[in-house]
Amino acid sequence: MQGYWVILRSEMFSLFISPATYVASFYFLSLIGVGFRFFIESFSSTNWILPPLSSLVLGLIFGAPALIPFLTMRSFAEERRLGTLETLMSAPVNSWALVLGKWSASYLFFILIASGAFCFPIILSLFFPEQAKSLGFARFEHWIGGASFLFVFGASFTAIGIFASSTTKNQMVAGMLTFTLLTLYISIMAFSFGEAESLQNIDSPIQFLRACMGSLDDGLDKLQHFAVGVIDIGTILNQVIVLLFFLILSTIQVERLRV
Amino acid sequence: MTVETKPLPIIEVINLRKRYGLIQALKGISFSVGRGEIVGFLGPNGAGKSTTLRILSGLIPADSGEAKVCGVDLAEEEGEVRNHIGYLAENNPLPEDLRVIEYLKFRAHLKGLEGSRKRERIRIVLDICDLERSVSERKIGNLSKGFRQRVGIADSLLAEPRLVILDEPTIGLDPRQSAITRKMMERLRGEVSFLLSSHILSEVEACCDRMIILSHGQIVAEGTLQELQKKFVNKTIFEVVTCGNRIDLQRIVRQVDSTCELLQDDPVEISGKRRFIFSTEKGESLAEKILKVLLSENSLSLSEFQIARPDLETIFLRATKKNWEEQDLLSRRNRRTNLVSGRKTPNIQS
Repeated sequence: MQGYWVILRSEMFSLFISPATYVASFYFLSLIGVGFRFFIESFSSTNWILPPLSSLVLGLIFGAPALIPFLTMRSFAEERRLGTLETLMSAPVNSWALVLGKWSASYLFFILIASGAFCFPIILSLFFPEQAKSLGFARFEHWIGGASFLFVFGASFTAIGIFASSTTKNQMVAGMLTFTLLTLYISIMAFSFGEAESLQNIDSPIQFLRACMGSLDDGLDKLQHFAVGVIDIGTILNQVIVLLFFLILSTIQVERLRV
Repeated sequence: MTVETKPLPIIEVINLRKRYGLIQALKGISFSVGRGEIVGFLGPNGAGKSTTLRILSGLIPADSGEAKVCGVDLAEEEGEVRNHIGYLAENNPLPEDLRVIEYLKFRAHLKGLEGSRKRERIRIVLDICDLERSVSERKIGNLSKGFRQRVGIADSLLAEPRLVILDEPTIGLDPRQSAITRKMMERLRGEVSFLLSSHILSEVEACCDRMIILSHGQIVAEGTLQELQKKFVNKTIFEVVTCGNRIDLQRIVRQVDSTCELLQDDPVEISGKRRFIFSTEKGESLAEKILKVLLSENSLSLSEFQIARPDLETIFLRATKKNWEEQDLLSRRNRRTNLVSGRKTPNIQS
């Protein structure tokens, strides 16, 4: 893994100095903030059965296709356009470290922005402690569950973005491809939203696999568990599989550029 | 009695082949580069120079053959090779938004240099490449082509490599900046081995110990300039500047060597003196004999005598000409065969 930390540091640096990152983060957080405010205001009149904090997580998940392309589109596409990928690969650093370093930087930045969104309920709790308590913001397990759900999905989403960036020399194409892939993935999960598979009523091996590992199409189901602080290992495993799948694809793509 | 052991070469290539789809880029080349040697890689566009350099720097794999760089087998440990070499890619791609010093620090970290060693190496390469402080603080995107090239070379020298591979290091540079690059190589001569490709023949002639000429993926010539001159130019050409006339001069020269040929019928005339160009197949020693005879002839009033040695350009053109003709003949024959059999020809380029 020689070079991983160097790549990570350099990628973080380039994300921090890129104006596109700040513009995207600002608009993203503003929209999430406005949406969260209206949701909390009208929470009593909605029939939302989950803790209100889960709405913020869901907002971040559904808003991810608009944010993640800005974090990942530069990573490989820009290097390929400038030709610096060749210079990078002439140094003693392997493709896996390269992909992992770039992914880690984008993911850390995603966590940073998501943490920014979590400041909204914290601010609410500071200024209106009574209302915040009645909305369940004081319950620690809701925070842990929500953050875990978001960070797990964020990891696989950024991996999709890194893969999209490794396939083209054009940043815009990489960005649009990331947006399309994420929208497609979220749509599949959203349209198949329903009851989560339970380990108790298993009739077939497929049901067993679905219950153990989750599946591609019912990841969002598990939000109901995470929202109340129940960490679902199947969902985490599911997203780790998606994450590894796209990171391996990106590594293969980078290796393919050598030939 | 002591047995003298020959040091292992820094590069050893045996029967290296590489194909890109229908194009056979390398057709089984073999060569070696010794320690501390500066070797020039010459060849027309598409000859396979960059492919060879990219294989040797571990960027792309070869299809077959054996290549050892710094004693490391590329087929087995291609990643390990990158610890021992410095590489300057063709066109020298660099990140535009970093300062020179930031870029060199980043590359030093990537190559495993830390702390005081990193600082020391950066200082040394900045000095070798003549990148003074005012330049090292500037953004790479704002630098001129020459400075960018020097940044690339500085990067390739960072980790004290035993071998530096430079792909067209002086392309697009003005003569002054090319001279700086040459000076840099001269400074490191003997310590570091250099393998460089270039189209600027005069430059290769000036700084390389040995040349390898590639054409259509094959080595067509290899050796020192003197060896190549001997191999490809078997006639000695000499120029005589005199006030005498052509008939007298030719008569005297023919007395020494009857096969000696006058290359121009109308000599160039400058302020009453004429420049005659002769060629002989009997070498430089005969030309010297002719000079002695001409000096003894007072009527000719000889003012200049010069043996013209063929330059690398002449050698390059002769070395690649035969190969071009063969390839041309081969492709024409292929086309004819395919036309007769009614097949569509795949467009084979070299």
